[in-house]
Amino acid sequence: MKRRDALKLIAGAAALPAFYSQDLFALGREIHQQLASAAAPKTLNPHQNATITAIAEMIIPATDTPGAKAARVPEFIDLILTEWCTGDDCGQFLSGLADTDARSRKTFSKDFVDCSSQQQTELLTALDEELTQLREANVRGRPHASAARRELETPVERNFFYIMKRLTLIGYYTSEVGWTKELGRPPVHMGPYQGCVPLADAPGKTNAS
Amino acid sequence: MPANTYDAIVIGSGMTGGWAAKELGQKGLNTLVLEAGRSIDPAKDYCEHVPTWGVKFHGLRDRRKELKTQPIQRTCYACDEWAAKFFVNDLENPYTTPADKPFSFIRGRHVGGRSIMWGRQTYRWSDLDFEANAREGIGVDWPIRYADVAPWYDYVEEFAGISGQAENLPQLPDGRFLPPMAMNCAEVVVKDAIAKTWPGERLMTIGRCAILTRPHNGRMACHYCGECHRGCISRAYFSSLNATLPVALATGKVTLRPYSIVHGLNYDGQTGRVTGVRVIDAQTRQALEYRAKVIFLCASTLESARILLNSSTSQFPNGLANSSGELGHNLMDHAMGSGASGMIPGYEDKIDVGERPNGIYVPRFRNVKAKSPFLRGYGYQGGAGRSDWERGENLAGFGAEFKRSLKKPGPWHFDMGSFCECLPDHNNYVELDRSHTDAWGVPILKINCAYGPNEKALLQDAAIAAAEMLAAAGARDIQTFVEDNAPGLAIHEMGTARMGRDPKTSILNAYNQAHDIKNLFVTDGACMASSSCVNPSITYMALTARACHYAVEQMKRGEI
Repeated sequence: MKRRDALKLIAGAAALPAFYSQDLFALGREIHQQLASAAAPKTLNPHQNATITAIAEMIIPATDTPGAKAARVPEFIDLILTEWCTGDDCGQFLSGLADTDARSRKTFSKDFVDCSSQQQTELLTALDEELTQLREANVRGRPHASAARRELETPVERNFFYIMKRLTLIGYYTSEVGWTKELGRPPVHMGPYQGCVPLADAPGKTNAS
Repeated sequence: MPANTYDAIVIGSGMTGGWAAKELGQKGLNTLVLEAGRSIDPAKDYCEHVPTWGVKFHGLRDRRKELKTQPIQRTCYACDEWAAKFFVNDLENPYTTPADKPFSFIRGRHVGGRSIMWGRQTYRWSDLDFEANAREGIGVDWPIRYADVAPWYDYVEEFAGISGQAENLPQLPDGRFLPPMAMNCAEVVVKDAIAKTWPGERLMTIGRCAILTRPHNGRMACHYCGECHRGCISRAYFSSLNATLPVALATGKVTLRPYSIVHGLNYDGQTGRVTGVRVIDAQTRQALEYRAKVIFLCASTLESARILLNSSTSQFPNGLANSSGELGHNLMDHAMGSGASGMIPGYEDKIDVGERPNGIYVPRFRNVKAKSPFLRGYGYQGGAGRSDWERGENLAGFGAEFKRSLKKPGPWHFDMGSFCECLPDHNNYVELDRSHTDAWGVPILKINCAYGPNEKALLQDAAIAAAEMLAAAGARDIQTFVEDNAPGLAIHEMGTARMGRDPKTSILNAYNQAHDIKNLFVTDGACMASSSCVNPSITYMALTARACHYAVEQMKRGEI
């Protein structure tokens, strides 16, 4: 092999500009950016999707910033159910979702999505309180291995409302809307590291008080 | 020169291969660097600035795919949804272990090797480390001491750029440091408490790391995006791809050939020298041969051992350069996964800004002055931060108020985890598993390795001592942890072709030169006679540069 060919193999490593360039940093983002798609859910049927959408928006509602629906959390949850879950994860989640409707019908004689917002809040509050009790009954340390956190293996982590809340938070705060509009952070930090600054002086990280 | 013939062949393009390429090229040797994997194009492959919404699963990883093709690699934190492409396909790169001795072999096969995804922590060894084997009668004595390596630490640190704080500790010598990174509010609390409670015994310093805190040698300073293992278009952290290989190639003396899987070395029994290497082109499966006057094995601790084991001859039936019988033996890693965590009260109106790709370090304090009921010691890495929106999944509530509460950062928490020294043990070893081959037909390794009672005692002690330090700092909700990780997960494997004074008990001499074959050098982690408790890469780099200098001097004198 000629040296010229060899140089090409790591081209870029040898020929980078000596200053920060927004264009350069944007390069990877564009390549990796997923194209927006408004495809229909692949796993959730229309009723399930409507229920998921309602619950997600109740967990993270639109306020002065967009909520879960605007951040396309339901699409994210459908993706996780369709392409990420293994074993009986998906079936368990969907039966938890069906149980939410069953509770709704038992208490209010209609499906969750057809309830008034006050009734929906009552149902979700009950689910949240049960989760709190389950958590207290299964006290354990914050798992250290991130692998364990990914596997959703503990009783708490198998609870429908826990998974629903977790997926809603992940889907929301890792979205462009959640990250930049709600948290007010730049997509990429570019600047010095400051170890201890007043919250008010750190708008990129948080300005809530 | 005849085709396919070079002055030197370097096998591997990672942490040490990059250094060998640079040193040999700069000294004027026509050098061929053989890399088993693909090339990396930073402009296309680096992805540290791709946000969470730019990857399909928002950081939850392509779970089904990795369970199928990377069941081992996925256990490494750095094998995330962005960087998984820098880790091997486990189906193509199998190895076996006894059922009761799992081993996590985490690796990358591409130009740059694991220097792309490494942890970047850089700590010098001291004579406490180099003298340990001799003092305790364990393994073999190192044929070198700190004074032999110190100028080479200087040399590689000045090129690589190491940020850190000088502390004047005998057990952790200072280096040629760029300015240290800052500690955050909660880290300062813990640092002060440790200094006050254990003066002269324990201290906490900012991590020493191969990340530029100011522009250095034509590379940019870190801008704290925090995702180094996904690449670094700024070239602010040291990797062979970011630093040594560009300089090597600029000499005009170095040829880099990716997709070149070294099956074995050729040995001439008449002259007692290695004459070249047998290569399989990973793309075409074509068998190729390259010849050279001197060969540097820089393929990694386990791969270099595998190549030598796959190069048996009638003279060396148990692996090339293995008259001692120690080839593949004395495999070590650092036992890790014990420590403590807790919440640091206060500083609720303060936060850190930027994603510092570095943590704190608590240097070894066991068996430095006072004796402990176990041998050697450990150091801690860790750090503090305020919890973020992720804590919401463990909190009660939903709705507008819940959303508002998650916008505010949570309490400061501090975690520290130990890296414990692993003793060299002949019974921890690799051998060829001749019943299996990898995707290219090369016989694979069977890895037989387990931690012993000393490593387990260190892990237990480290959890307790960590909790003591957090308690001294006024931490709340302190929790200790001792994980039972298989060896390999620290990705500090070393020792399969150890250096030593006696050819009967070691593979390499004081200059990483094979006792049995004078034109063969092994300068990756295989050369290590003990493991210290500090991250080893900077030592591999220093030993590689030193060995290159020696080899070229010997060649000039006609000794090689």
